[in-house]
Amino acid sequence: MTFTDLLLQQTINGLSLGAMYALLALGFTLVYGILELINFAHFNVFMVGSFIAMAVLQGFGLSGQDMILTGLPLVGVLAVAFVVTMFGCGVLGVVIERLSLRPLRNVKGPAAMITTIGVSYILFNIILLGYGADAKNYPNPMPTVRWHIGGAVLDMRVVLIWGVSLVLMLGLYYFVQRSRVGKAMRATAQDPEAARMMGVEVDRIIVMAFFLGSALAGAAGLIFGLYYNFTSFLIGFTAGLRAFTAAVLGGIGNVPGAMLGGIIIGLVEAMASQFIATAWADVIIFSILVLVLVFRPAGLLGRVAPSKS
Amino acid sequence: MITRRAAARLFAGSALAGAIGANGGAAFAADKVVKVGINLSFTGADAEDADRMKDGAVMAFEAANQANAVPGYKFDLVSFDDGTATAGQYDPAQAATNARKMVSDRGFVAAIGPQMSGAGKAMAPILSQGDLAIITPSSTNPDITNPKFAEQYDPSGKPIYFRTVTTDAYQGPNMANFMAEKLDVKTIYILDDSGAYGVGLADAFEAQAKKKGMQVAGRDRLDPKAADYTAVLTKIKSLNLQAIYYGGVAQAGVKLAKQAYDIVPKMIKAGGDGVYGASFLSGGGFPAVEGWYATVASPHLTGGDQRAEQFVEAFRGRFGMAPVDYSITSYDAALVIIDAVKRVAASGKPMNRDNVRNAIQTAKVPTIQGTVSFDKYGDLADRTVSVFQIKKDPKAPLDDATKQYAYVGVAPQS
Repeated sequence: MTFTDLLLQQTINGLSLGAMYALLALGFTLVYGILELINFAHFNVFMVGSFIAMAVLQGFGLSGQDMILTGLPLVGVLAVAFVVTMFGCGVLGVVIERLSLRPLRNVKGPAAMITTIGVSYILFNIILLGYGADAKNYPNPMPTVRWHIGGAVLDMRVVLIWGVSLVLMLGLYYFVQRSRVGKAMRATAQDPEAARMMGVEVDRIIVMAFFLGSALAGAAGLIFGLYYNFTSFLIGFTAGLRAFTAAVLGGIGNVPGAMLGGIIIGLVEAMASQFIATAWADVIIFSILVLVLVFRPAGLLGRVAPSKS
Repeated sequence: MITRRAAARLFAGSALAGAIGANGGAAFAADKVVKVGINLSFTGADAEDADRMKDGAVMAFEAANQANAVPGYKFDLVSFDDGTATAGQYDPAQAATNARKMVSDRGFVAAIGPQMSGAGKAMAPILSQGDLAIITPSSTNPDITNPKFAEQYDPSGKPIYFRTVTTDAYQGPNMANFMAEKLDVKTIYILDDSGAYGVGLADAFEAQAKKKGMQVAGRDRLDPKAADYTAVLTKIKSLNLQAIYYGGVAQAGVKLAKQAYDIVPKMIKAGGDGVYGASFLSGGGFPAVEGWYATVASPHLTGGDQRAEQFVEAFRGRFGMAPVDYSITSYDAALVIIDAVKRVAASGKPMNRDNVRNAIQTAKVPTIQGTVSFDKYGDLADRTVSVFQIKKDPKAPLDDATKQYAYVGVAPQS
């Protein structure tokens, strides 16, 4: 491998990580943009997503990486897995909002945020009790298809991650910018009171934000499983924390910012492992976060939060 | 001083216990209960092996109670879990809490465990002060029994940390010898999982690898909670090396195995006893774990050995799953404790921790792995390290360690 190949390979690695972080970061950003609430339950909605998807894939009779599908069956199985997982996680997000956060809507202070931490641990423990603590060998029907670009290798799974993430992120961006509900979301984000007076049903918009954010976390959970061939009840915290960092780095509440932040964190992680040491990756990621926040407190692309009236 | 009323209560109590015992059918009315703690990591990445290790000890104590091995005494095995959900594996703080619980109950005369060296480091000083002997069936970090660190791990001065396995002072270096001499490895990259066991094992391996003239191209530390090791593996790939040595347990190990299979499928991959066992097989899965070398810090009994065969059969019959090699060391640890309690009872000395500890120190117990005796620091006198390689046996269950790990031989001692 030449140095250029190596750089290219680490960029591929970093972009795959980054795409996953970005999908996850969008969930933080959507909810924060509207409620000014950091939703820590999001960490483990992602983790639950990877388990829902595992159950779906197992439902098709898949186990481990022994059964390979191609062509239409592969597309069909993955499409069903994505739809079921995203819908399941979306509903989970809505239930969390309805049961644990709406009753606290008008409570001042950190009560709602602490509640999300509690919900996060509840999800974590439900999966721990239901599935046990050992690492799960993920059912994966994708054939190993690889393209060589010089000395670097591009795996079909990586292309899938990029493709799905790009479609979902662009879809979300288009939805928020163009659709009626999206406009209502932005209006609520700017000023909930004024939006309400203009006839926006704020509660419905909040439910929508939770549904969309959690659905994206579900997609990220499935992608995680397919990429690493592995899941466990523990995956939420590390990935969630990095994704949250990505959201803050890009400017929390800002949709393109979350995507940019995710990609940057992914690339930094890969390059840090290459040129410094894996052991230092976290130190470098968080140092960059601190530096960015010192010079641009609102994040790279600026923060979007409801104006307090 | 026992007052009359207390004596009466004591008498009534033992009569009641006797009545319950009589209903149970087996115990004598006068049987005294000897409590033995067993502390393993039942929660987290290493839970599957913890269960199998506990079952090994359970078999020994059940048989002893049934055969009335120590007349007048019955063994009561009490489980402690040092794994926590937040750690996802062993948690040293929980291990310390468990050690305190055992020490504060005078009914405990000895203990088995822990599974993990990181837990052992937290437990040893507490057990030392409580004078409670523990026999570990699998924790191999040498610091705990090293006289150099006695102030830290054995403040009372009397060894209390015994092992039915040897230490990483042999496990790491012997594997380095094996890789240099038998596999002809000249260039290697070393990884660890940031844990007490993993770092110590990788350090011991690295020192001997360099002595053997291997070129150690790099050393890095994996975060066991992170999911992605592709970047460091890409770096290793670019260096064109022959082998990777991994010091660590299953939590990082299974992810490393999966990603290494994708990125560096042809390299030789090896680890210690952390990558031996059902947890590594089922989490890593085939084909990713195929070809991995692992070591076990005890002699391996090959097919011809009657006692080992009988044990494996009895284990399967009783628990419906295959044992791992550390089920045997755990069974052996239980045999050592049973033997010690027996000798204390026979000598007529009081059945207390100090006497049981002294009996363990002087043990010469025939076990499945051979005669177990300890040096003056508590380490196993036998220093054999066995090497295995994972070779898929499609006929057996894929997490059956006795079938999926093929025995290669004994790693050369330096």
